[in-house]
Amino acid sequence: METFLFYFCGAVMLLGAVGTVASRSAVSAACWLILSLLGLAGVFAAVAAPFLAVMQVLVYAGAVMVLFLFVIMMLEGPVLEGETRRPRFWVPVAAVVPAAVILIAAVVWVRRAALPGFSSAAPEGFGQPMRMAELLMGKYLFAFELISIVLLVALIGALALGRNERKLPWK
Amino acid sequence: MEVGLTHYLILAAALFLIGMVGFVVRRNTIIMLMCVELMLSSANIVFAAFSRELGNEAGHVFVLMNFAVAAAEVAIGLAILVEIFRRRRSVDADDLTTLME
Repeated sequence: METFLFYFCGAVMLLGAVGTVASRSAVSAACWLILSLLGLAGVFAAVAAPFLAVMQVLVYAGAVMVLFLFVIMMLEGPVLEGETRRPRFWVPVAAVVPAAVILIAAVVWVRRAALPGFSSAAPEGFGQPMRMAELLMGKYLFAFELISIVLLVALIGALALGRNERKLPWK
Repeated sequence: MEVGLTHYLILAAALFLIGMVGFVVRRNTIIMLMCVELMLSSANIVFAAFSRELGNEAGHVFVLMNFAVAAAEVAIGLAILVEIFRRRRSVDADDLTTLME
Protein backbone atom coordinates (compact mmCIF):
# COMPACT_ATOMS: atom_id res chain seq x y z
CA MET A 1 0.00 0.00 0.00
CA GLU A 2 2.73 2.41 0.98
CA THR A 3 4.69 1.53 -2.14
CA PHE A 4 1.69 2.05 -4.42
CA LEU A 5 0.87 5.36 -2.74
CA PHE A 6 4.47 6.52 -3.19
CA TYR A 7 4.71 5.70 -6.89
CA PHE A 8 1.21 6.86 -7.85
CA CYS A 9 1.23 10.12 -5.89
CA GLY A 10 4.86 10.80 -6.77
CA ALA A 11 4.02 10.44 -10.47
CA VAL A 12 0.99 12.72 -10.11
CA MET A 13 3.13 15.27 -8.29
CA LEU A 14 5.87 15.30 -10.95
CA LEU A 15 3.26 15.46 -13.75
CA GLY A 16 1.65 18.46 -12.09
CA ALA A 17 5.06 20.13 -11.64
CA VAL A 18 5.94 19.65 -15.33
CA GLY A 19 2.51 21.00 -16.29
CA THR A 20 3.08 24.08 -14.11
CA VAL A 21 6.37 24.83 -15.81
CA ALA A 22 5.17 24.04 -19.34
CA SER A 23 1.71 25.63 -19.49
CA ARG A 24 1.44 28.96 -21.28
CA SER A 25 -1.17 30.79 -19.24
CA ALA A 26 -0.97 31.53 -15.53
CA VAL A 27 -4.41 30.07 -14.80
CA SER A 28 -3.61 26.64 -16.23
CA ALA A 29 -0.22 26.75 -14.45
CA ALA A 30 -2.10 27.33 -11.19
CA CYS A 31 -4.43 24.39 -11.90
CA TRP A 32 -1.46 22.10 -12.62
CA LEU A 33 0.16 23.32 -9.40
CA ILE A 34 -2.96 22.31 -7.44
CA LEU A 35 -2.64 18.80 -8.92
CA SER A 36 1.04 18.74 -7.98
CA LEU A 37 0.39 19.83 -4.39
CA LEU A 38 -2.40 17.25 -3.98
CA GLY A 39 0.06 14.59 -5.18
CA LEU A 40 2.51 15.87 -2.59
CA ALA A 41 -0.17 15.38 0.08
CA GLY A 42 -0.37 11.73 -1.02
CA VAL A 43 3.40 11.43 -0.74
CA PHE A 44 3.16 12.75 2.84
CA ALA A 45 0.53 10.09 3.54
CA ALA A 46 2.92 7.45 2.15
CA VAL A 47 5.77 8.57 4.42
CA ALA A 48 3.66 8.11 7.56
CA ALA A 49 2.82 11.81 8.04
CA PRO A 50 -1.00 11.94 8.01
CA PHE A 51 -1.21 15.30 9.77
CA LEU A 52 1.13 16.86 7.21
CA ALA A 53 -0.98 15.39 4.39
CA VAL A 54 -4.09 17.07 5.79
CA MET A 55 -2.29 20.38 6.36
CA GLN A 56 -0.85 20.22 2.84
CA VAL A 57 -4.35 20.01 1.36
CA LEU A 58 -5.72 22.72 3.67
CA VAL A 59 -2.88 25.24 3.55
CA TYR A 60 -1.25 24.73 0.15
CA ALA A 61 -3.87 23.28 -2.17
CA GLY A 62 -6.50 25.36 -0.39
CA ALA A 63 -5.39 28.73 0.95
CA VAL A 64 -2.23 29.41 -1.03
CA MET A 65 -3.72 28.40 -4.37
CA VAL A 66 -6.85 30.47 -3.76
CA LEU A 67 -4.54 33.43 -3.18
CA PHE A 68 -2.71 32.71 -6.44
CA LEU A 69 -5.90 32.37 -8.48
CA PHE A 70 -7.40 35.45 -6.85
CA VAL A 71 -4.41 37.59 -7.81
CA ILE A 72 -4.38 36.18 -11.37
CA MET A 73 -8.05 37.09 -11.75
CA MET A 74 -7.32 40.54 -10.32
CA LEU A 75 -4.45 41.28 -12.69
CA GLU A 76 -6.31 40.16 -15.86
CA GLY A 77 -5.21 41.23 -19.34
CA PRO A 78 -1.61 40.68 -20.39
CA VAL A 79 -0.93 38.13 -17.63
CA LEU A 80 -3.48 35.66 -18.92
CA GLU A 81 -2.11 35.56 -22.44
CA GLY A 82 1.14 34.00 -21.35
CA GLU A 83 4.53 35.19 -22.44
CA THR A 84 4.68 37.39 -25.49
CA ARG A 85 8.36 36.91 -26.29
CA ARG A 86 10.05 33.56 -26.59
CA PRO A 87 13.10 33.20 -24.33
CA ARG A 88 16.47 33.13 -26.03
CA PHE A 89 17.49 29.64 -27.12
CA TRP A 90 20.33 29.12 -24.64
CA VAL A 91 18.27 29.89 -21.55
CA PRO A 92 16.11 26.71 -21.60
CA VAL A 93 19.10 24.62 -22.70
CA ALA A 94 21.33 25.97 -19.95
CA ALA A 95 18.62 25.18 -17.40
CA VAL A 96 17.35 21.81 -18.63
CA VAL A 97 20.67 20.12 -19.47
CA PRO A 98 22.32 20.36 -16.01
CA ALA A 99 19.05 19.36 -14.33
CA ALA A 100 18.67 16.30 -16.55
CA VAL A 101 22.33 15.33 -16.03
CA ILE A 102 22.01 15.57 -12.24
CA LEU A 103 18.80 13.53 -12.19
CA ILE A 104 20.04 10.80 -14.57
CA ALA A 105 23.34 10.55 -12.66
CA ALA A 106 21.43 10.15 -9.38
CA VAL A 107 19.14 7.45 -10.75
CA VAL A 108 22.00 5.52 -12.41
CA TRP A 109 24.13 5.73 -9.28
CA VAL A 110 21.24 4.48 -7.16
CA ARG A 111 20.44 1.60 -9.53
CA ARG A 112 23.83 -0.03 -8.93
CA ALA A 113 22.78 -1.22 -5.48
CA ALA A 114 19.56 -2.68 -4.17
CA LEU A 115 17.85 0.09 -2.23
CA PRO A 116 17.01 -0.62 1.39
CA GLY A 117 13.60 0.17 2.78
CA PHE A 118 13.19 2.29 5.89
CA SER A 119 15.27 0.93 8.74
CA SER A 120 12.30 0.30 11.02
CA ALA A 121 8.52 0.32 10.91
CA ALA A 122 6.87 3.58 11.94
CA PRO A 123 5.93 3.55 15.64
CA GLU A 124 2.30 3.47 16.66
CA GLY A 125 0.66 6.87 16.19
CA PHE A 126 3.63 8.32 14.30
CA GLY A 127 2.79 11.74 12.87
CA GLN A 128 -0.78 11.66 14.14
CA PRO A 129 -2.37 15.01 15.09
CA MET A 130 -2.19 14.22 18.81
CA ARG A 131 1.58 13.65 18.75
CA MET A 132 2.07 16.79 16.65
CA ALA A 133 0.01 18.80 19.12
CA GLU A 134 2.14 17.54 22.00
CA LEU A 135 5.29 18.65 20.18
CA LEU A 136 3.96 22.03 19.00
CA MET A 137 2.48 22.92 22.39
CA GLY A 138 5.39 21.48 24.36
CA LYS A 139 8.94 21.21 23.10
CA TYR A 140 8.54 23.53 20.10
CA LEU A 141 6.22 26.10 21.69
CA PHE A 142 8.70 28.95 21.21
CA ALA A 143 9.14 28.22 17.49
CA PHE A 144 5.36 27.96 17.19
CA GLU A 145 4.91 31.42 18.72
CA LEU A 146 7.67 32.90 16.57
CA ILE A 147 6.08 31.58 13.37
CA SER A 148 2.84 33.29 14.34
CA ILE A 149 4.76 36.57 14.57
CA VAL A 150 6.18 35.89 11.09
CA LEU A 151 2.64 35.45 9.77
CA LEU A 152 1.48 38.63 11.50
CA VAL A 153 4.37 40.62 9.98
CA ALA A 154 3.60 39.14 6.55
CA LEU A 155 -0.06 40.13 6.96
CA ILE A 156 0.83 43.72 7.86
CA GLY A 157 3.40 43.87 5.06
CA ALA A 158 0.94 42.61 2.46
CA LEU A 159 -1.64 45.17 3.63
CA ALA A 160 0.91 47.99 3.50
CA LEU A 161 2.03 46.98 0.00
CA GLY A 162 -1.47 46.42 -1.34
CA ARG A 163 -3.28 49.58 -0.25
CA ASN A 164 -4.11 52.23 -2.80
CA GLU A 165 -2.33 55.41 -1.66
CA ARG A 166 -4.49 57.84 -3.59
CA LYS A 167 -7.73 56.66 -2.03
CA LEU A 168 -6.65 56.99 1.60
CA PRO A 169 -9.03 59.32 3.49
CA TRP A 170 -6.31 61.66 4.82
CA LYS A 171 -4.70 62.28 1.40
CA MET B 1 10.13 -3.44 -3.98
CA GLU B 2 10.01 -1.65 -0.69
CA VAL B 3 10.22 2.11 -0.69
CA GLY B 4 13.01 3.63 1.38
CA LEU B 5 14.71 6.91 2.16
CA THR B 6 16.58 7.06 -1.17
CA HIS B 7 13.35 6.90 -3.18
CA TYR B 8 12.05 9.96 -1.39
CA LEU B 9 15.33 11.82 -1.83
CA ILE B 10 15.28 11.15 -5.60
CA LEU B 11 11.66 12.28 -5.79
CA ALA B 12 12.51 15.47 -3.90
CA ALA B 13 15.50 16.09 -6.17
CA ALA B 14 13.31 15.66 -9.26
CA LEU B 15 10.73 18.11 -7.91
CA PHE B 16 13.42 20.65 -6.97
CA LEU B 17 15.03 20.42 -10.42
CA ILE B 18 11.68 20.90 -12.21
CA GLY B 19 11.03 23.96 -10.06
CA MET B 20 14.53 25.29 -10.70
CA VAL B 21 14.21 24.86 -14.48
CA GLY B 22 10.84 26.60 -14.39
CA PHE B 23 12.22 29.51 -12.38
CA VAL B 24 15.04 30.03 -14.90
CA VAL B 25 13.02 29.51 -18.08
CA ARG B 26 9.70 31.25 -17.36
CA ARG B 27 9.41 35.04 -17.52
CA ASN B 28 5.95 35.45 -15.98
CA THR B 29 6.67 36.39 -12.37
CA ILE B 30 3.50 34.67 -11.08
CA ILE B 31 4.65 31.35 -12.54
CA MET B 32 8.14 32.00 -11.18
CA LEU B 33 6.55 32.29 -7.71
CA MET B 34 4.78 28.96 -8.28
CA CYS B 35 8.15 27.39 -9.13
CA VAL B 36 9.54 28.72 -5.84
CA GLU B 37 6.63 26.92 -4.14
CA LEU B 38 7.66 23.69 -5.87
CA MET B 39 11.25 24.06 -4.65
CA LEU B 40 10.09 24.76 -1.07
CA SER B 41 7.84 21.68 -1.23
CA SER B 42 10.73 19.45 -2.25
CA ALA B 43 12.51 20.45 0.97
CA ASN B 44 9.37 19.39 2.85
CA ILE B 45 9.59 15.89 1.33
CA VAL B 46 13.17 15.55 2.56
CA PHE B 47 12.19 16.65 6.07
CA ALA B 48 9.32 14.16 6.22
CA ALA B 49 11.41 11.29 4.79
CA PHE B 50 14.27 11.76 7.25
CA SER B 51 11.75 12.10 10.05
CA ARG B 52 10.35 8.67 9.10
CA GLU B 53 13.81 7.12 8.77
CA LEU B 54 15.03 8.37 12.15
CA GLY B 55 11.69 7.77 13.92
CA ASN B 56 11.76 11.36 15.18
CA GLU B 57 8.84 13.71 14.62
CA ALA B 58 10.91 16.91 14.82
CA GLY B 59 11.01 16.91 11.02
CA HIS B 60 7.23 17.16 10.86
CA VAL B 61 7.35 20.28 13.03
CA PHE B 62 9.86 21.80 10.61
CA VAL B 63 7.52 21.05 7.70
CA LEU B 64 4.71 22.88 9.49
CA MET B 65 7.00 25.88 10.02
CA ASN B 66 7.85 25.68 6.32
CA PHE B 67 4.14 25.84 5.44
CA ALA B 68 3.82 29.08 7.39
CA VAL B 69 6.95 30.56 5.81
CA ALA B 70 5.72 29.61 2.32
CA ALA B 71 2.33 31.16 2.99
CA ALA B 72 3.97 34.39 4.19
CA GLU B 73 6.27 34.39 1.16
CA VAL B 74 3.36 33.97 -1.26
CA ALA B 75 1.34 36.73 0.42
CA ILE B 76 4.22 39.24 0.29
CA GLY B 77 5.32 38.17 -3.20
CA LEU B 78 1.85 38.54 -4.67
CA ALA B 79 1.35 41.89 -2.92
CA ILE B 80 4.58 43.12 -4.53
CA LEU B 81 3.39 41.79 -7.91
CA VAL B 82 0.07 43.61 -7.62
CA GLU B 83 1.91 46.84 -6.82
CA ILE B 84 4.27 46.33 -9.79
CA PHE B 85 1.30 45.62 -12.06
CA ARG B 86 -0.42 48.83 -10.93
CA ARG B 87 2.61 50.90 -11.91
CA ARG B 88 3.90 49.07 -15.00
CA ARG B 89 0.84 47.20 -16.36
CA SER B 90 3.02 44.09 -16.70
CA VAL B 91 4.39 41.26 -14.58
CA ASP B 92 6.91 40.05 -17.19
CA ALA B 93 10.34 39.68 -15.61
CA ASP B 94 11.98 41.01 -18.79
CA ASP B 95 10.17 44.33 -18.34
CA LEU B 96 11.39 44.86 -14.79
CA THR B 97 14.87 46.13 -15.57
CA THR B 98 14.88 49.54 -13.90
CA LEU B 99 17.58 48.61 -11.40
CA MET B 100 19.64 46.88 -14.07
CA GLU B 101 20.07 49.87 -16.39
